Amino acid sequence: MGRTLTFNIFRYNPSDPASAPHMDKFTLDETERMTLFIALNRIREELDPTLMFDFCCRAGICGACAMVINGRPGLACHTKTKEMPDEITLMPLPVFKLVGDLSVDTGVWFRTMYQKIESWVHTDKKFDPTAQEERMDNGLAEQIYELDRCIECGCCVGACGTALMREDFLGAVALNRLARFILDPRDQRTEKDYFDVVGTDEGIFGCMGLLACEDVCPKQIPLQEQLGKLRRKMALAAVKNILPKFLKKDF
Amino acid sequence: MSVPTTATHEGLPVGKLSAYLDWAQMLTGAALILFMWSHLILVSSILLGPGVMNGLAWFFEATYMAQVGGPLIFLCFLVHFVLAARKIPFNTAQQRVMLANAKRLRHPDTWLWIVQAVTAMGILIMGAIHLWVVLTNLPITAEKSAARIQTGFWFVFYLFLLPMVELHVGIGFYRILVKWGFVDRPGRWTLKKKENLLTAVFIGIGLLSLLRYYFLPLK
Ligand code: HEM
Ligand code: SF4
Ligand code: SF4
Ligand code: FES
Repeated sequence: MGRTLTFNIFRYNPSDPASAPHMDKFTLDETERMTLFIALNRIREELDPTLMFDFCCRAGICGACAMVINGRPGLACHTKTKEMPDEITLMPLPVFKLVGDLSVDTGVWFRTMYQKIESWVHTDKKFDPTAQEERMDNGLAEQIYELDRCIECGCCVGACGTALMREDFLGAVALNRLARFILDPRDQRTEKDYFDVVGTDEGIFGCMGLLACEDVCPKQIPLQEQLGKLRRKMALAAVKNILPKFLKKDF
Repeated sequence: MSVPTTATHEGLPVGKLSAYLDWAQMLTGAALILFMWSHLILVSSILLGPGVMNGLAWFFEATYMAQVGGPLIFLCFLVHFVLAARKIPFNTAQQRVMLANAKRLRHPDTWLWIVQAVTAMGILIMGAIHLWVVLTNLPITAEKSAARIQTGFWFVFYLFLLPMVELHVGIGFYRILVKWGFVDRPGRWTLKKKENLLTAVFIGIGLLSLLRYYFLPLK
């Protein structure tokens, strides 16, 4: 206890013509069980009421508080100051549109991405609100749930060198999202439909395997595994018609 | 269906080309890895004596593996270069973004990629020179190789080329296994350790072989 923490925080308000990007320094005394969520709120209450940042659940569930913490994308509400050095640098997530200071708009990016990969169950079955829900094998439901745990924080996108260089790259979160529908038996899309969405250089074949996404994801979504599986599946789908039969049973 | 983000007049056709090119990039990379491992056996056989190396070289010629394999490897080299170079950023803004990201993240695998991209450019130039010099002066013999290395210039040349190739091959091997999902989450860390060790051992053997050529008495 008794540490004094120094925060270097990126400041810029794009909607204010007088504002220019710069770093501001704040100091705070560290308190017990302090997280960056607590620290940022104290800075706003005690030192600078104009500081902009996002929070909602403060429990690692909503994904709103993602920012670049000492160089690495992470959730502010999940970062304990006692695990950090005396000096902490906070920057907004790259790739996404800056709202102001540490606040970015991940919503528009995610919505566009979900439209591109058509992130919904495609079915021609009529929904019957009175019928019992169809049963699903528990193991399979758990597999889908494992991928569905993604909180759309955007950390994996902000850490991905490919996504930073190329605006058109879908990113690990999109590929993981599609993997979820591939598992889901209710989605009637064919392998070719999936291929058309991600079997491109904007999708799985653009991924260079840097695995920063895997290493920063605060929910430990199995991105490495999903990206590997998806590349194999899509690559095999492309050459399927020239493969001998015994190799085809992989999908 | 892919939703075009720009106003194209027809829907952007989604073909299988990306998939084929990714296959070709991986397969030529894998072929070059296998070649480099056999190459190491041939080159380092000098450590057992010039006779062993001449024997191996003779074997490769007599079975036409050198005459057929050499040009094939050159072809792989060219194809791999054209395909993999699609991933290397050539405009300064992208290069700076990539470098800044690696520095900011302090992320080993992102650095590994940068090492791969930088060594690739070195190999493109030096590897091509080396291939040309060797393939236009067949057959390969221990004496000819030693004479070349003893000029001094070529010794220094190989001192640069050797670590670049071994790093690129080592990282490439790791990357293929990771990208194509052949290792799981814990497996990745053990694989990386083994790969680093293997790369160090190969550079070591390569250096010893270079020294042996340098000090080989010429007739
Ligand atoms: C002509 C010069 C070369 C260039 C420009 C080059 C470039 C590259 C680049 C940029 C990558 C990363 C690709 C990616 O992340 O998707 C790569 C991967 C690789 N390179 Fe090279 N390389 C060259 C020569 C070689 C040579 C001579 C070898 C082997 C002896 C080799 C083996 C590999 C392997 C195995 C991979 C991994 C393939 C993959 O990720 O799918 N490269 N190369
Ligand atoms: S995959 Fe992980 S890092 Fe990416 S958006 Fe989802 S929770 Fe965040
Ligand atoms: S593996 Fe690398 S290139 Fe692929 S999505 Fe993850 S960070 Fe991006
Ligand atoms: S505030 Fe919801 S994840 Fe941090």
